[in-house]
Amino acid sequence: MDKLIKFEIVTPERIVLKESVLQASIPTTTGEITILPGHLPLISIVKAGVLELKKADGQAEVMAVSGGLLEVLTDKIVILADTAETAAELDETRIMEARAKAEILKQEKVGDVKAFAQATALLDKEMARHHAVRRWKKIKNIESIN
Amino acid sequence: MPQTGDIKRRIKSVNSINKITKAMEMVAAAKMRRAIEAVLKTRTYANLSWETVLNLAAMSSARHEPLHPLLAPRSGIKKVAIVLVMPNRGLCGSLASALLAKVRYSIDKHLQNELGEKIATEFILLGRKGEIVRRYGYEVAADFAKADLVTDSTDAHPVFKLLIDEFLSGKYDKVLLAYTDFINAVKQRPQVKQLLPINLAERTLGVMGRESAAVVSAEMIEAKHREHVNVGQFAREYLFEPDATTVLDNSIPKLIQVQLYQAMLEANASEHSARMAAMHQASQAASDMAGELTMFFNKARQASITAEIAEISAGANALS
Repeated sequence: MDKLIKFEIVTPERIVLKESVLQASIPTTTGEITILPGHLPLISIVKAGVLELKKADGQAEVMAVSGGLLEVLTDKIVILADTAETAAELDETRIMEARAKAEILKQEKVGDVKAFAQATALLDKEMARHHAVRRWKKIKNIESIN
Repeated sequence: MPQTGDIKRRIKSVNSINKITKAMEMVAAAKMRRAIEAVLKTRTYANLSWETVLNLAAMSSARHEPLHPLLAPRSGIKKVAIVLVMPNRGLCGSLASALLAKVRYSIDKHLQNELGEKIATEFILLGRKGEIVRRYGYEVAADFAKADLVTDSTDAHPVFKLLIDEFLSGKYDKVLLAYTDFINAVKQRPQVKQLLPINLAERTLGVMGRESAAVVSAEMIEAKHREHVNVGQFAREYLFEPDATTVLDNSIPKLIQVQLYQAMLEANASEHSARMAAMHQASQAASDMAGELTMFFNKARQASITAEIAEISAGANALS
């Protein structure tokens, strides 16, 4: 029996996922880290990107996160995310539209520091979603539209 | 026997009161639904982030020097700020007075610090009904407007910024948060909770919206220490990536702001629930009263008819 670690990811809107996993790969500001059961307690900052889990049955789960806080305790992983969604919930065409929109917005806001930062964050979020969907489709062998 | 006309007028006025309270009940019910949805949505997030803060505080208290200024306990407290989250409007039963009573009780309990110096208290108000503390002679440092239905986390930002700045500058040694915990639609509990500094010795640090008394017990702190700090003979510490200062500067203020925002949501849901209950009772009382008055009116009408018939027949008898 492989060792499991409890994993919980919540956003201000909802509990996105709560279950025991074999391992979790999480994008942080210092690079992607993979947490296995028995990891030392750790606190780090999550950045926008793709989060990958290996569930108890060996199946992979892919998620997009847009930033937040990661806390690893002796027996569980908690992620307090700003936004997060599983790849299965995402729709690729709509993300591509949103991503294109975010790119235009970012170009428009050059010069305005605060708005530019916001637009960049938005673009990062959409890109994370896009990557998550692509990764998910690759794992599941679903034909991608591009 | 009163005139039937007088009674009729009273019935009419009671009925129009009934109509108004019914309408207000419906408005409150609609707002309540939205407020409850908002409060329940963020509660898990808020409670989990509070647990993270507590873990950090446990970690910090095991060290010689605190990890972060917001985690450092302070002694010789001279000035306390109380953030009072109150309703914007009245007609919500005993909600405001119960919260105020709780706040005054906790002020009276802590008049002096351990050195025997007087502790000054200042209020930071959120919501229009908070005004009332001026009448009791308390100092008010700031008065913020609160939306009738709080749904945006940026609402908490200006208040939070003021608190952090004043706390770090040393103007306040302690920040308390007074709000009403939403337990369910018919039950709300006034709550005074310490927000800053995060201090595990304080028993009033609790998670929100629990039915049981929300306190941190000494055993729980002990358990946390065993679990996360001391493993065997080794003191275990969190790893911070990239480093403690960056991570804590980035996260602790955010985590505490979540608490403030959650308190606003709890207060909001409580307010609308309390108002709905109060208006429901008022409508009930008005229809009871209208019923009673109608009975009274019928009796009076019957009595006057009887009296009239008696007079007529007496007159007829006298003639024959």
